[in-house]
Amino acid sequence: MEELYGKIAHCVEFGKINLASPYPPDMKGQEGADELTKKAIDEGFPPEEVLKKGLVVGMEKIGVKFRENKVFVPQVLMSAKAMSTAMEHLRPFFESGAVKRKGIFVIGTVAGDLHDIGKNLVSMMVKGSGFEVVDLGTDVNGQQFIEAIKQHPGCYVGLSALLTTTMVNMEKIVAEIKAAVPDTKILIGGAPVSEEFKEKIHADFYSRDPQGAVDFLNRSVA
Amino acid sequence: MTGRALVKQAFQLRKAERIPWVPFVGVHGARLIGATATAYLQSADLLFQGVSKAIELYQPDGIPVVFDLQMEAEILGCKLAWSDHNPPAVVSHPLLEGKTLADMQIPDKNAGRIKLTLEATRRLRNAHPDVALYGLITGPFTLALHLLGTDIFMKMLEDPDSMTALLQFTNEVGKHMASYYIEAGCDIVAVVDPMTSQIDPMSFETFVTPCATGLFEHIRQQGALSSFFVCGHAQQNIEAMCGCKPDNISIDENIPLDYVKEVALKNDLSFGGNIKLTVVMLMGTPNDVQENALECMDMGGNKGFILAPGCDMPMDTPIENVKAVTGLVHDPYRQEVVRAMEKEQSKLDLLNLKDYGQTDRVVVDVITLDSESCAPCQYMVEAVKKVTPHFEGLVEWREHAIKKLEAVTFMSSLMVKNIPTICIDGKIAFVSQIPPRQELIAAIQKRINEKLKLKLKSKKGELFIFGKTAEECQDLIANVKRATAELGQQMEIKMITDPHQLAIFGITETPAAILAEYKVKSTGTNPSVEIIKEWVKNVY
Repeated sequence: MEELYGKIAHCVEFGKINLASPYPPDMKGQEGADELTKKAIDEGFPPEEVLKKGLVVGMEKIGVKFRENKVFVPQVLMSAKAMSTAMEHLRPFFESGAVKRKGIFVIGTVAGDLHDIGKNLVSMMVKGSGFEVVDLGTDVNGQQFIEAIKQHPGCYVGLSALLTTTMVNMEKIVAEIKAAVPDTKILIGGAPVSEEFKEKIHADFYSRDPQGAVDFLNRSVA
Repeated sequence: MTGRALVKQAFQLRKAERIPWVPFVGVHGARLIGATATAYLQSADLLFQGVSKAIELYQPDGIPVVFDLQMEAEILGCKLAWSDHNPPAVVSHPLLEGKTLADMQIPDKNAGRIKLTLEATRRLRNAHPDVALYGLITGPFTLALHLLGTDIFMKMLEDPDSMTALLQFTNEVGKHMASYYIEAGCDIVAVVDPMTSQIDPMSFETFVTPCATGLFEHIRQQGALSSFFVCGHAQQNIEAMCGCKPDNISIDENIPLDYVKEVALKNDLSFGGNIKLTVVMLMGTPNDVQENALECMDMGGNKGFILAPGCDMPMDTPIENVKAVTGLVHDPYRQEVVRAMEKEQSKLDLLNLKDYGQTDRVVVDVITLDSESCAPCQYMVEAVKKVTPHFEGLVEWREHAIKKLEAVTFMSSLMVKNIPTICIDGKIAFVSQIPPRQELIAAIQKRINEKLKLKLKSKKGELFIFGKTAEECQDLIANVKRATAELGQQMEIKMITDPHQLAIFGITETPAAILAEYKVKSTGTNPSVEIIKEWVKNVY
């Protein structure tokens, strides 16, 4: 049982999606996250454990490697793809309520900014850690965030910006959200954003990498 | 030397007399002329006006014609979402929508917005022959990402051959764009490839290096200079970027300037950047901007460094903040002032100067950088020096050159921000401008009058009458009483006949009188030693 969890985690960490996938070269011809997860479910392993001991472990490992500059976006995307392929087999258990989500995370790229790489990475990693993610997409304004927060009381909010020209919109959106729903915890990130900027605009948390956001959320719900 | 020559000098790693300043004015130019970003980027006239206005306001040594990484993508079929406050953004990726690389052609110089941009370039070249013009082109990796979307990242791993073909095409587009800009009069072609910050050095060397190296070689062959711009956390790739052999590397605040300096100079490349765009330029004060810019200048040095913001300046960057950089770059005095303030201010214990200026004389403090090396300071000191004789010893003046820590402490304690400044009895009186003689005299006279009034109100005294016997003192005491009565004042009189006391005061012949004046020097505070010294000096 533990061995299978370990293999699933390994596939996620190294971005091995399925049997047909050519990447990574040294795992060519082997089963990937897709087949192994299906096998685990078919054999009656508890879905919650498949998630916790398999998928989440793999995502966390790649998240830490990303933070340490050992891997970059391409490798993380491969891991995320392996993760989401495997998640398909777990979906029915989430829908039936057999497996509980840790919390809800609402994320979007701020108004004016249409770049979504960073946001998608965070979204995938947070999802991979067992949260429900509500992705509002790109070019999201304060009102849209507030509506989503009201629909999902107690959710955490993530704001992303890739451009120096649009990160200023973060300040406005943070102020709007804090005025409408004062207790909302807001995480910010993106290439031009910094801890200093976070302080200036009164957001709650800044992380320079997605794993930092995952860690913050896990600490918050613990 | 013209700014254009200064920039070229820095690119060629020759020691410069001054660090060149290149504000990355993109859609900020639209703001300067009251246009929207949307209109601005689609009009040669507006581009010309906006950049000209920026040149007038910011006196740059070099400036980009336009900062828009969507121009090539739009022509190649990406849909854009326009915004009035930002550059447009790419919202669709043609290679994901059924188009193939074979369907795409290299844009010619009349395609899309290239035509109007080149027209603006030519007009700017004619109108501003002394400013270096930067032509910005979309880097091969970023353009490939526009065309393919984020699938590009997985393609690198799953299908490296098609990735290489795509990058060869986008690089070819870059070569053509570079030629267009050079022909229209740009001195420097900047290859802006921010998305490379997302990949590791090995992927960079595998995919980006082969094409980018060719691109920079192409620019060199056309007789122009080149810069490789990156923004974001791209520290891991700086070495690899240098390996592509551009003339210059430009980075933003995510990468420490000292690191880039080290790597660039080791590779014989010039480098630039690094004024913080948002927390400082957009949200800070002109003082913050000058401190940050000076930090960059001191770190960058005058060989090979170009002072610039990290990236495209946000549209609403306050004009005063950008001008603050101009003021600093062109004014060595200002640099020394900011440097002195920055170095010392953090560790200062400010003096309590509430009771400063309570001596009989009026004290005029001139706060300078150093009157020997700063001309405005010298003239201000001379102006003060000349008027003091007018007051016949009533006025004392001092210079505080802030190259010394005590002077910085004093300056900060008086809340003086500019050099030179004249303070009269601890109050700021004249800032930066040297006052005309009559104004200076009037200001000092006003203070003397104030003091006189205070003096009359607060003075109290005591008269000691010394004698060998009480009888011997009586006549003198009677005269003192009469004198005070005639003046309508009261004065405490003490008679001292103790021979021991007489000896202490050094009195040998009696009767004698000693007048002691009491004056309130401070209330409710603990004046500093410096201040008390002033009181003491007044007595001796």
